[in-house]
Amino acid sequence: MKQKLTTGQQQEQSAETRSEKTTAKEFASVEELLRHDAAQTAVPPEIAQRLRQSLEESPPPRRSWWRKLFS
Amino acid sequence: MKEACATAEKAAGAEDRLLPAEFSGLYTSHSRAIYYLALRFLGDPQKAEDATHDVFLKAIRKAEQFRGEASARTWLYRIAINHCRNLQRVWHDRHVFAASDSEVWEQTAGGESPLRILETKELGDRIQKALDGLPEEHRLLLLLVSDEELSYEEVGALTGQSAEAVRGKLHRGRKAFAALFAKTE
Repeated sequence: MKQKLTTGQQQEQSAETRSEKTTAKEFASVEELLRHDAAQTAVPPEIAQRLRQSLEESPPPRRSWWRKLFS
Repeated sequence: MKEACATAEKAAGAEDRLLPAEFSGLYTSHSRAIYYLALRFLGDPQKAEDATHDVFLKAIRKAEQFRGEASARTWLYRIAINHCRNLQRVWHDRHVFAASDSEVWEQTAGGESPLRILETKELGDRIQKALDGLPEEHRLLLLLVSDEELSYEEVGALTGQSAEAVRGKLHRGRKAFAALFAKTE
């Protein structure tokens, strides 16, 4: 289903872009562009901290079905 | 890019250790995908953070409903899509292009060409603007199919349509995105 990525890189030679150290990238598809964007998007660490806090305040029941999630 | 990913994964891993061991694997494996969907679907980092927290909390609390028929990723996406749609219905504070904007669709008449862009810090903003201009259905489809862990069949199941319908709508969605993306330059 998914296309193999064929990202090409090329240093931009114009003065204005050279000064900004930008990189020209070519994406073969919108999906490739979005995958690149997703890879560059960091998950805020606050989410895990808030989740831990929420679970401490009201812990979920511990059941064996959890194993299904990780099997 | 690999370095950035590795750094981000390392940072995420450090935070994951804050979670109880039985949940950290779920969070480590899927938090990026869920956060990215929420971020680009909702268009707001704070709302995406809230939504990601709520999705994982809901998933953990409702885990008995997970029957293992789908992957954990698909199950989390289903919760996330419902959650984000509900939030959008409540908030009504988004400024979105009219889905039927004829100008946008007329500009998509040409063939699909590679998107050549300069990677800058504004790239995310440009992507967000282009996604915001799409009808919700096309925005969601593009975000889901860009996840390499999902098949067209799974995307179809998540959005209530066949894989063939997904393919057909994606064709139009890609063209519309490209046209909108070009406008953001």
